[in-house]
Amino acid sequence: MTLLWIPLLSLIGSIISSMTGKLTRNQSTSLSLLMPFIALCITISFAPAVFSGEEVRETISWIPLLGINIAFRLDGLALLFVFMIITIGILVIFYARYYLSSKDSMPKLYSYLMLFMTAMLGIVMSNNVIQLWFFWELTSISSFLLISYWWYKSEARKGAIMALTITGGGGLALLAGLLIISNIVGSYSLDVILASRELIQSHNLYEVALILVLLGAFTKSAQFPFHFWLPHAMAAPTPVSAYLHSATMVKAGIFLLARFYPALAGTDIWFIIVSLTGMTTLLFGAYVALFKHDLKGLLAYSTISHLGLITLLFGLNTELATVAAIFHIINHATFKASLFMATGIIDHETGTRDMRKINGMWRYMPYTATLAMVAAASMAGVPLLNGFLSKEMFFAETLHQQLLGSMSWIIPVLATIAGAFSVAYSARFIHDVFFNGDPIDLPKEPSEPPRYMRVPIEILVALCLLVGIFPNFIVDDILTSASFAVLGGYVPEFKVSLWHGFNLPLLMSAFAVTGGLFMYTQRRHLFTFQASLPPLNAKKAFDNSIYVMIKWCQRKIGAIENGSLQRYLMLMFLIVLLGAGWPLFEMHELVGTKELTPVSMHSAVGAALLMIGAISTVIWYRTRMVSLLMISVVGLMVSVAFTRFSAPDLALTQLTVEVVTIVLLMLALFFLPQRSPKESSSMRIIRDISISAGLGIVVGSICYALITRPFESISNFFIANAKTGGGGTNVVNVILVDFRGFDTLGEICVLGIAALGISKLLINLPLFMPGSDSEGRPWARERYPILLASISQSLLPLALLVSVYIFLRGHNLPGGGFIAGLITAIAFILQYIAHGSNWISERLTINYRKIIASGLAIALLTGVGSWFFGRPFMTTWFDYFDIPFIGNIELASALVFDLGVYITVVGATLMILAHLGELTANAPKEEVNI
Amino acid sequence: MTEWIISILLLIGGSFVLIGSIGLVKMPDYFMRLHGPTKATTLGMASLLTAAMVFFSTSQDALSVKEILISIFLLLTAPISAYMMIKSAIHHKLDSIERTQGKDNIEDDV
Repeated sequence: MTLLWIPLLSLIGSIISSMTGKLTRNQSTSLSLLMPFIALCITISFAPAVFSGEEVRETISWIPLLGINIAFRLDGLALLFVFMIITIGILVIFYARYYLSSKDSMPKLYSYLMLFMTAMLGIVMSNNVIQLWFFWELTSISSFLLISYWWYKSEARKGAIMALTITGGGGLALLAGLLIISNIVGSYSLDVILASRELIQSHNLYEVALILVLLGAFTKSAQFPFHFWLPHAMAAPTPVSAYLHSATMVKAGIFLLARFYPALAGTDIWFIIVSLTGMTTLLFGAYVALFKHDLKGLLAYSTISHLGLITLLFGLNTELATVAAIFHIINHATFKASLFMATGIIDHETGTRDMRKINGMWRYMPYTATLAMVAAASMAGVPLLNGFLSKEMFFAETLHQQLLGSMSWIIPVLATIAGAFSVAYSARFIHDVFFNGDPIDLPKEPSEPPRYMRVPIEILVALCLLVGIFPNFIVDDILTSASFAVLGGYVPEFKVSLWHGFNLPLLMSAFAVTGGLFMYTQRRHLFTFQASLPPLNAKKAFDNSIYVMIKWCQRKIGAIENGSLQRYLMLMFLIVLLGAGWPLFEMHELVGTKELTPVSMHSAVGAALLMIGAISTVIWYRTRMVSLLMISVVGLMVSVAFTRFSAPDLALTQLTVEVVTIVLLMLALFFLPQRSPKESSSMRIIRDISISAGLGIVVGSICYALITRPFESISNFFIANAKTGGGGTNVVNVILVDFRGFDTLGEICVLGIAALGISKLLINLPLFMPGSDSEGRPWARERYPILLASISQSLLPLALLVSVYIFLRGHNLPGGGFIAGLITAIAFILQYIAHGSNWISERLTINYRKIIASGLAIALLTGVGSWFFGRPFMTTWFDYFDIPFIGNIELASALVFDLGVYITVVGATLMILAHLGELTANAPKEEVNI
Repeated sequence: MTEWIISILLLIGGSFVLIGSIGLVKMPDYFMRLHGPTKATTLGMASLLTAAMVFFSTSQDALSVKEILISIFLLLTAPISAYMMIKSAIHHKLDSIERTQGKDNIEDDV
């Protein structure tokens, strides 16, 4: 269970920190740090096992039939990422304490950050691809919340929407890819997928699946041409950027590449796509970063460029390249997080991020400047720092590939150029900000930040140095075990060390550094050249494409969904007609083998009445009241039919539902014209009649075919087990409250939701209230006739008595909670009719919402109750008792459940009718008196 | 003996219901027509319910009183329905023939 606690603790932390609004900032921060800290301790406790080559797994079976389990695993790669996510998360939380101004809501940021942390932890630890995808989507959503943290800023909202659209779209592609892969392998389990490399790669859908998965990874990791969301995401607060763009969000795509490396990599198509994308992104990002005046913009493009570097390493066809990729993941996370935090300090202290204004900061904040310069040097790949080591490995690996055949020598050259650019922008970051004259028009007088704001940067910079000077000592274990996981149980001989002797990679580094410095000194010419290029506005293109897409969708939707109910009905019926009618043509014989029962006089008369009622409803549909009366005839006849065919429960239900429905319709009709004009053209009538006749024929034929064939149903099981298993002789009721109790619980939930929805829709609904009927007669002056009022009042106790009787006998004789609830509801509705809702609301001060809620609670708790006896949810219990004066009676827990059903039905029915009735209670009175 | 009682009650009830229904069809105006289903039929129903009570009391060895409750319901609600129907008929100013009695008692509703 412990493995599960790592993401769970972070989720709990998210909830806890969202509730710290009343506490001081320090308290809120310490509370928020607690849970990730415990999670970190748990992770560390797993480290020795993972380093020794073990893979820790935990599975909770959820829907085993569908192979869906909640499964976590912790191998070297996951451990590395968990470490990074939690450690940098803790540092970011600590840093944000000093970064946020007093106006910003701290609990909100912490809660979102931890939610994001949960999502990331879920991705890296999932052992089930659907679960992985779920957390993947959760990162998209939580990053949306984080980027739009300053929701009142337009650019924050737009940046958040852009990030969500791009990464969300990539998420859909990923889902498709994962489903294809799971289909090929026949399992959702990551273990199985990673072990079935040959099976996946020999399948003819391999290319499709690969491209879809890569789309997911590339959108998340901001690879060209999906990179443009990342600079716009810089509208987020800097701690968020530090977290999202160093160790987490963008690394999720890289993680995906690493995770599926054993299963998907190794083919030509993988190497071509991944390496070319990585190369393009690396160059493009490094080039653009140089020209950004915004500090965070520079870091954003540098992030893109470094992500491209890692992607390129995954695409190089050597094992050592993969090791280098993982190493660079660690290094990039450390120096980029510290750089973002340093930028945050500069922004915090100067009030701007524009490098044209910020100059000479060395004099104002020497300490911060030193930290930032070390981190920036690491980004540039200066020796003694971790960035140098992985860049050296990268250069070495570009020399060992044959991707482009005889033109492969281009790749090291391009890599050196990209390296030069990265030196150039790092030099700009250092020189422009900390030296280069005096600051220009700063909004604030800069100074050193609060002492503790620098602590996270100090830790990260110390790591940069330590890894850079003693690489074997610090990262050997984790790098080996992560590479072990990515390369599928094989680690090549590698030695990370500071000094490899004079060799080609060192020469490339030297070229990059001198070239980069030269480029920076000559930057004026480059800037002029860049300014002469046509501007490329990714945001505008994105906005336009989104606009076009929305317009297109609106047109298509408008063509189908035009607001006409008749049209929807027609479309639905046509589909039913096609779907249900087609198989009938393939059936040879409509009449089955079963003997027909003789038609009795009663049945014939009933059927005739039913038909007459139905046809009359249609004929008089323009005179709505007559139509309503006719439809009530139909309902009544259905109820009689149920009685005739020995279904008293159904008959009772039908009868009560019929009463409620008619009252409801009467209320609704009040707001409608009493006569509807003749609107349909003759052609339309022909069309409608054909559709409805066709549908009638199809449904009738299906019914006839069904009832004339012998078929086995499960009714016999219920009849045999109702008394012995459920303790009741009324099979219908035992099914409702016992055998299918879970269904009933769902149904009453739906009923409650529907009632709430209807009442919400009705509140303040402006409706036209006619002052007179269709012939101009005003409404009667006496609204609530006294005779009706007093008699209905005296009927109430009688009706309640009946409903109690029906309820209590339900388990053994026709009745039960549902019917009793309807009877009670009808008794109250009669009071509403006779007295008006104002009179009732003075006397009956019950909140129907609470009634529904308590009904549902009773039903649910009865179900939960069986857990205390060690039984599955909703197990019922019954026994017989001797009670004085009453005799031997049976008590069943199902009766309590039925009580819940009863209360919910009463609450829901009354809620709907009372709210609709209240609308009529305020009918215009003035006109009545005219 | 019980069979005789039940049969007689059923016959009485049946004829009342039949007479009420004939009245509903045959009477010349709304106000007269209303008498059939409300008065005659209610009485007929009461008689039928008594028959049911006798039948179930004798055949199930226990006094069956449910029918009394049903009768009370019926006797309470039928007059009220008739009252409400007449009220709306007056409100609607339905036509009546010369012979219809009690028209002088109608107060002008509007």
